[in-house]
Amino acid sequence: MEEKQLSEKESLELITSMINKAKNKVTESGALYLFWGWLILLCCIVQFVGLHFFNYAYSFYVWYSTWILLIFQFFYIIKQKKSLGVKSYTGEINGFVWLAFFICMVLVIFISIHFKYYEIIFPLILVMYGIPTFLSGIILKFRPLIIGGACCWAFSFLSSFVTSEYQSLFIAAAVIAAWIIPGYILKQNFKKEKNNGV
Amino acid sequence: MEFKELDPTLHSQLRLAVMSLLISVKEAEFTFLKEKTNATSGNLSVQISKLKEAGYIEIVKQFNNNYPQTICKITPVGIEAFENYVKALQSYMTL
Repeated sequence: MEEKQLSEKESLELITSMINKAKNKVTESGALYLFWGWLILLCCIVQFVGLHFFNYAYSFYVWYSTWILLIFQFFYIIKQKKSLGVKSYTGEINGFVWLAFFICMVLVIFISIHFKYYEIIFPLILVMYGIPTFLSGIILKFRPLIIGGACCWAFSFLSSFVTSEYQSLFIAAAVIAAWIIPGYILKQNFKKEKNNGV
Repeated sequence: MEFKELDPTLHSQLRLAVMSLLISVKEAEFTFLKEKTNATSGNLSVQISKLKEAGYIEIVKQFNNNYPQTICKITPVGIEAFENYVKALQSYMTL
């Protein structure tokens, strides 16, 4: 950038262009939505197939694989922060929303198991899923996530009318609506912006 | 109509570009500012030092995995100066 005397109009144009550059840089790549979406979908299918077709009571052990992704996510976020070179206000708020969700979800699962209310775990998880998904949609101004969040709440309501065996299918439907579909749209938008050299 | 004087610290292409980037984010690395402004490292370094001297930005130098990292962040004084600069520009534009 050459140093030159700016006119008032040029100054305002420069401010607008720089603000847009900073705004576009922090677009979500959708990777974490896809990682989590596909893993949870897989866990739901494995659990349902195990229980329904093989009557295998321990098929819920597949959920322990989420801890592996959690560790991977920790390193992925550190790496991503380094490559972005910038910390945005929306990114930070979004991160805290998901952290609050994670803490609340662990507590909800613990309390449900503690009081032996096993059949309400999945409907409650869906209620919880809806909150960060919906809020991320609002923060990122991204309609598919807002719709995804609303779908989680609708599936939560519906899942309370079926047995726990079938509830995992509602979770599977919810992750497709709330994470996998928005994840692919985010990924596509991110690629487009990258190709445009923004 | 009252004319507001344009802040000379901000009325420079590169310094204004840096302040416009920093007002949009919480903090940014030197490399991010360099990439977005297309400035040379030397020039950018001089201009951010001037912004720091004016109290408009904070600069934190640290090491990340043995690599030096310079992080810049706008200060409340910088935000106020930027807002006043934009108001002054608007007063000229509405003439």
